[in-house]
Amino acid sequence: MRTVESSRWWEELSALAVDGFTYLDYLTAIDRGTHLDLVAHVVNPDTVEHLLVVAALPGDSAVVDSLVPLHAGANWHEREAAEMFGITFTGHPDPRRLLLRDESAAPPLRKSTPLPARVDTPWPGAATAGGDDAAGRRARRQLPPGVPAQWVAEGP
Amino acid sequence: MTPAAPAFRLAADPTVRVVVANLGLACCSLEVDVAIQRGLLVPDEDGAGAAHCVLLVSGTVTDVLAPAVVRHYEALPGHVSVMSFGACASTGGPYWDAPTVTQGVDRLVPVSVYVPGCPPRPEALVAGLLALTAEVSA
Amino acid sequence: MSHNDEIPAAAHGYIALTPAACTSCMLCVRECPSWCITLESHAVQTSEPGARRPTTVSVLDAFTIDFGLCMFCGICVEVCPFDALEWTPRFDYAASDRSGLVQAIDQLSGSGDQR
Repeated sequence: MRTVESSRWWEELSALAVDGFTYLDYLTAIDRGTHLDLVAHVVNPDTVEHLLVVAALPGDSAVVDSLVPLHAGANWHEREAAEMFGITFTGHPDPRRLLLRDESAAPPLRKSTPLPARVDTPWPGAATAGGDDAAGRRARRQLPPGVPAQWVAEGP
Repeated sequence: MTPAAPAFRLAADPTVRVVVANLGLACCSLEVDVAIQRGLLVPDEDGAGAAHCVLLVSGTVTDVLAPAVVRHYEALPGHVSVMSFGACASTGGPYWDAPTVTQGVDRLVPVSVYVPGCPPRPEALVAGLLALTAEVSA
Repeated sequence: MSHNDEIPAAAHGYIALTPAACTSCMLCVRECPSWCITLESHAVQTSEPGARRPTTVSVLDAFTIDFGLCMFCGICVEVCPFDALEWTPRFDYAASDRSGLVQAIDQLSGSGDQR
């Protein structure tokens, strides 16, 4: 794995291509909560060496150079990462949405984007074993795993 | 899939003849092929007699594909019964919370029978077809 | 059936409940990724002969599995500390309406009408 500055994303990947890493296998992003990690997996087809290249992007202004002029195969990967994580790829030749139809939707794979179904659906696990106590209080408030507290719909 | 969908007889009840238009949208559709391969559904292209026309929705209905599902339903001639095969078609299943998945094909077209499973067994397909044809005939 | 393959007894066809074994601990409900299990219970105080003070136990009032939503992953079967949930090879419970896939204690335990 190689960590690079996002401002040098194009330069680093170009230099790697010159060194033989001419095949882009995959490009995606990971929401780390504090920032986004942009990840490219490149392969040297002659030596079958492969390398993960990672650049940190700030969540509120995720802008990076498009790799499409270097790797034509980055086209759809960048369109997917753009709509799923809210990343702008500067110089992308065809920055339309790839899979999503709703232009106004928040990027669904950002951790800050609530899943409407998990907000609207009361979690069955919120009930307490033995039911509410005599005073009607719940012994301990339980939250569904993996759902941030601020998303959870208030139960009855 | 075209409106000229294949016809079958059920090995469990050869009096039942069904025309199955399989909208195989995900892995559940493999179970339909298994049912044919194992002889639970017997091809009956030339057989005579009336047949129940079934639109078999086997797999995940995404919002993007939803209009195509409706178009296929409307393109099938005559009375069409819709079978929702598996959890994805019935409710979204494992993708119940995904913003891009239709939470049940019954939001698009009327469903005659829901077959539970993830995936349902091939035998469950036959049981569902029997339940469906019994209901239509009743 | 025209084939010779028996359905294995351990096939993931249906999840059956043994109500007497259930302590209403809620583990299955909380671990379910599909949120397809509901459980209602109430607490009662019981006094065992010779015990110093009464103990509180939960009594199962209602238990449902929504087989329209269930992804048959078996996490509920795995986490149940008292084996109150178990796989059965049953497959013939298709329903003509959506609510028919929500099965309650009498169906899950086989004490009521299977269909």
